[in-house]
Amino acid sequence: MTQSAEPILQVRDLKIDFSADQGILPVLRGLSYSLPKGRVLGVVGESGSGKTVHALSILRLLPPAARISGGEILYKGKNLASMGEEELRSVRGDKISMIFQDPSASLNPVLTVGEQLTETLLAHRKLSKRQARREAVALLEKVGISEAEKRLDEYPFQFSGGMCQRVMIAMALALSPDVLIADEPTTALDVTIQAQILALIKQLQRQSGMSAVFITHNLAVVSGIADDVLVLYAGLCMELAPAAQLFENPLHPYTQGLLSSLASVHKKEDVLPVITGHPPVPGQILTGCPFAPRCPHAFDKCRQECPPLFEEAGRQTRCWLREGK
Amino acid sequence: MVNYIVRRLLLLPLVVLGVTFLLFFLTQRLSPEMRASLYVKDPRQMGSLEEVIRQYGLRDNVFKQYGRWLSNVAKGDLGYSPSANMPVSQAIKEYLPATIQLAFITILFVVLFGVWFGCASAVHKDKWQDVLARLVSVGGFSLPIFVLGLLLLMVFYGRLGWFPPGGYSVQTDIIIHGGAFKTYTGFLLLDSLLNGNLRVFWDVLSHLVLPAVTLCIGSFALMVRVMRSSMLEELNKDYVRTARAKGLSDWQVVYKHAGKNAVIPVITLASIQFIRLLGGTVIVETIFDYPGIGRFGVIAAQQLDIAGILGFSLMVAVLFVLGNLLSDILYTAVDPRIRLE
Repeated sequence: MTQSAEPILQVRDLKIDFSADQGILPVLRGLSYSLPKGRVLGVVGESGSGKTVHALSILRLLPPAARISGGEILYKGKNLASMGEEELRSVRGDKISMIFQDPSASLNPVLTVGEQLTETLLAHRKLSKRQARREAVALLEKVGISEAEKRLDEYPFQFSGGMCQRVMIAMALALSPDVLIADEPTTALDVTIQAQILALIKQLQRQSGMSAVFITHNLAVVSGIADDVLVLYAGLCMELAPAAQLFENPLHPYTQGLLSSLASVHKKEDVLPVITGHPPVPGQILTGCPFAPRCPHAFDKCRQECPPLFEEAGRQTRCWLREGK
Repeated sequence: MVNYIVRRLLLLPLVVLGVTFLLFFLTQRLSPEMRASLYVKDPRQMGSLEEVIRQYGLRDNVFKQYGRWLSNVAKGDLGYSPSANMPVSQAIKEYLPATIQLAFITILFVVLFGVWFGCASAVHKDKWQDVLARLVSVGGFSLPIFVLGLLLLMVFYGRLGWFPPGGYSVQTDIIIHGGAFKTYTGFLLLDSLLNGNLRVFWDVLSHLVLPAVTLCIGSFALMVRVMRSSMLEELNKDYVRTARAKGLSDWQVVYKHAGKNAVIPVITLASIQFIRLLGGTVIVETIFDYPGIGRFGVIAAQQLDIAGILGFSLMVAVLFVLGNLLSDILYTAVDPRIRLE
């Protein structure tokens, strides 16, 4: 991982709790990474691994039940986790923007697409309504929506899911942010549309040179877009490595399991291998490595003590097997 | 859209026929003598009852009588109302504007304060604002309007003398029935302004306050609840999160984004309540001796004034259909997903 430049976004020991009927459940238990300028970090995890909560926490969009209980989220050295509302608002949408999982539900059904696009511009820039509108037309064209002028006056229900996600992308990129956070942006879409949207995000990211955090449960999606990959399991980072190395030589047994369960046209297999068992329920009290119950290589130490992240050759792996290597 | 409106208007005669026939049929339970007696004022002329019965064909078959009434209605003649001492159509023209005025002021209170309280309640969920709004709402539900009306009358008229009952004062009566006061719309509030007579305006308004407050309490309680739950639901939706992520101010997120969606059910509720008020201000108009259409309906019913009862119901039925149509049209204005086909 080349980390010569000052990281644009840095997460340090981030902890997030959920308050539920059973008490306070930790869903993210100390996550750290840094995102250099122009790079894409893929965050991969199963449901309940804490990946969406982590994505929402960056702009402090967590639901009321969730709370950042520790750690820092540094954007250009300023801590978003403790920033005042007013300052945070100037970051949201302008410096760091976000796209979401369900594009149709993420747009307001009773406001026109044009209204929703221009209001983002007007919230952060001093523009006239007409300038904002002209800008909005250009943005829609940029994300590949034809007849942009006409479509500005349409409502989200007149757009397909893929088109809605294009609108969301246009909105997120409207002010050329430094960081884009994409929370499973293709999950709700058809496979063919998924590929188009991914290609679009990738192309726009390369063009503008912005950084991105790309959250997904799908390793195949990550392989096409990410420079670095962070594998999240039960609220802990299991492995963090440059994408090429991770796919070629996964060090953590969990990553190995994930990779071998990917369907591939090159491998001829009758049955896909799976990781047996279930991930722990969020907040479940764990002693030892959270993956130990499902790990084929687990030994006694794994069940007694949770391994720290072992660093080697620019990668981090949370596994006792990597101790001293 | 035009298609839809025309089709709905074509339904109007059917509704009116249904309602009036049902009522007409019920009035036939009264003997022809009873129905005729109202038109004979002097007890010494009771002998002429038979003459009235024959003249109006009160012994005829129900359908024949109903047909006769209907053809008169078609000609614009709703009959003569002995209880109001004037033709029914004139009585409606005289009393309906006062009720519309009352209903309008009431619904204005209900919508403004209901939406405001409901929003505040949702935005500050479980804080003191919410607790207060919920208390007021429960109170509004549980307080019968005749109790509230009498209480208000006792305090604000009896003790304080601020807001009198009735429609307007004697002085106003003299002014508006004098030659100089022109009637433009029949709505005294508007007419007084158009005449430039602020004295009449204040007088009419002060007479409206107590009945309006009494009327709005139940609808207000309902409105707060609907607005609160609607707002809470909208605030949890994905697009609200998007709005926040864009860096919009709290005000924009809550009112422009969530509010515009949350207000949709309120519009239906408000239009239904408005129509309900037009035909259902009976109790309040009676308590406050307010010269509206509800009081006219009650007196007509008490005195078995059949022409009056039928005219009143006809009017309520027409208003109901028109009001519902209006609420449908309003819907399309707020929610672009709804198209009237």
